[in-house]
Amino acid sequence: MKWPGFVNLFGAWFLLALIPLIILYFLKLRRPKMEVPSLALWQSVVNDQRVNSPFQKFRRNLLLLLQILLLCLLVLALMQPFLQADAEVAEYKPLLIDCSASMSAIDETTGKTRLELVKERVREQINNLTGDQRIALFSFSNTGRRITEFSNDRRALLKALESLQPTDLPGKLDDVLRMAAAYTRTFPIETVTIMTDGNLPDQVDFELPFSLDVQRVDIGGPNIGITEMSARRSGPEEWEVFVRVSASSVDLRGAELQLWEDGQQRESHQVEVSNEESERLVFPVSTSQSKLLEARLVPAGFDSLAVDNSVWLTLPAARPLKVWVSPKLASWRHAVRVQPNLDLEESEGAEPRGAEYDLLIINEDGAGSAEAPVRLFVGVVPPDLQELIKVEEDVSYVVDWNRTAPMLRHVQLADVQIGEQPKLAVGAATKDLEERGYEVLIDGNAGPLMLQRREGLSVSYWFTFHTDRSTLPYRVGFPIIAANVVETALKQASLSDAAAAPTGVLPPISVDGSRSYTIKTPGGESLEAESNVAGTLDGIAASRVGRYDVMDGNNLVTSIGTGLLSGTETSLKPVEELRFSELTVATDVAEQLDSDKPFWWILALLAFGVLMFEWWYFQRARGAMV
Amino acid sequence: MRLKPNRRLTNRARGEHLSGKGGSSTDFADFRDYAAGDDLRYVDWNIFARLRRPYIKQFQHEEEMHVVLLVDASTSMLFEDKMLRAKQLAAAFGIMGLQNVERVSAYAIHARQDQPWMLPPGAGRTRIRKLLKFLEDVEGGGSIPIEKAIETMLRFHRGRGVAIIISDFLTFGDVSRPMNLLYSAGLEVWGLQVLAESEINPNVQGDLRFVDSETQETLDITNASELLNVYQDQRLWLQDALHAMCRSRQGRFMSVSSGMTLPTILFEHLCRQGWILR
Repeated sequence: MKWPGFVNLFGAWFLLALIPLIILYFLKLRRPKMEVPSLALWQSVVNDQRVNSPFQKFRRNLLLLLQILLLCLLVLALMQPFLQADAEVAEYKPLLIDCSASMSAIDETTGKTRLELVKERVREQINNLTGDQRIALFSFSNTGRRITEFSNDRRALLKALESLQPTDLPGKLDDVLRMAAAYTRTFPIETVTIMTDGNLPDQVDFELPFSLDVQRVDIGGPNIGITEMSARRSGPEEWEVFVRVSASSVDLRGAELQLWEDGQQRESHQVEVSNEESERLVFPVSTSQSKLLEARLVPAGFDSLAVDNSVWLTLPAARPLKVWVSPKLASWRHAVRVQPNLDLEESEGAEPRGAEYDLLIINEDGAGSAEAPVRLFVGVVPPDLQELIKVEEDVSYVVDWNRTAPMLRHVQLADVQIGEQPKLAVGAATKDLEERGYEVLIDGNAGPLMLQRREGLSVSYWFTFHTDRSTLPYRVGFPIIAANVVETALKQASLSDAAAAPTGVLPPISVDGSRSYTIKTPGGESLEAESNVAGTLDGIAASRVGRYDVMDGNNLVTSIGTGLLSGTETSLKPVEELRFSELTVATDVAEQLDSDKPFWWILALLAFGVLMFEWWYFQRARGAMV
Repeated sequence: MRLKPNRRLTNRARGEHLSGKGGSSTDFADFRDYAAGDDLRYVDWNIFARLRRPYIKQFQHEEEMHVVLLVDASTSMLFEDKMLRAKQLAAAFGIMGLQNVERVSAYAIHARQDQPWMLPPGAGRTRIRKLLKFLEDVEGGGSIPIEKAIETMLRFHRGRGVAIIISDFLTFGDVSRPMNLLYSAGLEVWGLQVLAESEINPNVQGDLRFVDSETQETLDITNASELLNVYQDQRLWLQDALHAMCRSRQGRFMSVSSGMTLPTILFEHLCRQGWILR
């Protein structure tokens, strides 16, 4: 048993008021005098054993005892006593509250969400704040947000707590931990408390400068939801739409999966899944136009989490890939021409003339030519690297290459002989190239042979040697590289496949350049965004599942939808431990957040009760004297 | 009306009280055999004529009874009508005694401890006036306890009879000793306790400081209303104790309220209890 602690121990000095109280009581005690013939009878009354019983003696000075009790209660209340928690009492307590999608999971019996349960615990913490304790509230989903500074203002903290709502985003700890870590430089933070349901990535890329106390709520019933939605082109105007449905419970859960298009239901399938095995369904869709599809899941029976029952997917309009290849790159032209679904421009000009291309394959003559989502430069050193890379007349060979890069997938470059030698300048290193945004895909014996650079939505590949001056065109890998670059261009143009956008940030949207647009969110809010010069709207926050309409004034430009698309969130399965760089932290549902419990208000109420009783007793006694 | 003592405690002086055979009154008592030397005037000749044997006819002996009136006139008797009622009762007892040829003396317990206020013994109806004047002149006051007053009175008293003590009997001392002294002095003890209404049913509540009217001592009482039950118990216990003391000495005891009228006390209480014969 722990003894209660006191916040304001100096309040005990007020107990000295007992001395004047007792003195004043006896000084002020003026009993009305009453003359009686003789005290003989009254003396025998006073001497009677019944009158002198301890209880009667107590009653004789009841008023004084009540006043002493009242004063003691008031002084104790002033000392602000509290029942000490088992945990160490920290002065500064950052509370990180999980507001990810799984926190909106509803318990089947109580009807409360996980976030509501967390709020109840945090509310208790705030109400039990004592003395110098301060709480700072942070919320997190895939990013962190500071809700309040360190404060002991209960009203402000409670108000901020009530404003917290679950988002439609998956949970991630990294950001919010970094925010909390930033506070350790200003405040003496020893422990950071995370209030979560445990639906988090178990691996956290963060080095803990403080101890972590993970408080886990573990409610929520069975759940079924869509965890994946994508589409793959199966013909010029044919798509296959894939939808994966997962469940959280061991038992099979049934649901009806519906595919909606423009507000009309196209198809539906019955699915039955468990947490052991998800089900992947395929919907064939024929369209030559861009379409916005919605996969909607209607669970049979109770569903704990509603936000993962709807996912949106935009199918791009069907068209051939538009490709321009420099006339001097005959080997590339031959290799590209055989690829399906592309429109290769057969012009003899040194530079592309068309307005829009999906893929440009250029030699040194067209180095300053038009922009395209995918550009492949052959025998060209990027202009900004020409001081770092010099091409010399010497033989070089491939030392290593990035086998996982899409461009070099399934390609063998070991025996390729090259008649040129791109060479790093003296003092230059690969690090210098990376600082300028280039990634080396093929390393030669003297310098980089192939570079990749991403700029916004576009990507550029640079062969620093001319392929015609190597044995590459005669290798099996050459047509594979050509196929890979076409495939990359198809993906870049979203012509080969499409994937549903998860919540968080909307994927870049192609619109007219340098114009303002209004984005209407599923919640009915309007966001203003301006496209860049290249005609891209990007970085638009999408915290809610649903359809986002891009408006140019009153005109609908395009629509895009999002979905939760998180297997972790849908599974509602908490991680048992979080793995950090150097240690692991267990998440334990049984361990409840403990806090000091002040009970000064109980003493104050008791004092009020004693005061009322004393008042009643005094009035009764005074009335009796009259 | 006359007093009716339990015992024949009389003086040899001739009086109105029959005190056994061998007297010279007109009330027949008994017969006995004639013995030599008996007065022949008391031989019943009618019986001698029938039985041829002399029998002496005996008559009741009439003796004088001493009635001692002891009136408590201390300060405690000044409350309400206690003093008045005590004087009235003393006067009534005194007149009854004098009318019936008793010797009546009266004492008042007063401030002077060594010298009681007294009316010397005397008989005859002519003493009635003196008695009434004596009682009328008695002034209340002082703090002599009843037991001291009785002892003082006994120093001046001679004669057997009845001692009627009219007091509230509220004393811290022991009354049994003066009771014994009275008994051994040949006085039948009649205790008549006169209490005020405020003593019989005190109407007190709350925290009070009681002041003794005689000694001016104080006593703090808290929540007096809740002690009334104990008070009544103590009052009744005192009455029972006094009653037992008097009874054990062939006496009588009665407690009356000063709020009662004199006829009520005389005719409804004293007559019914056998104190007085009508």
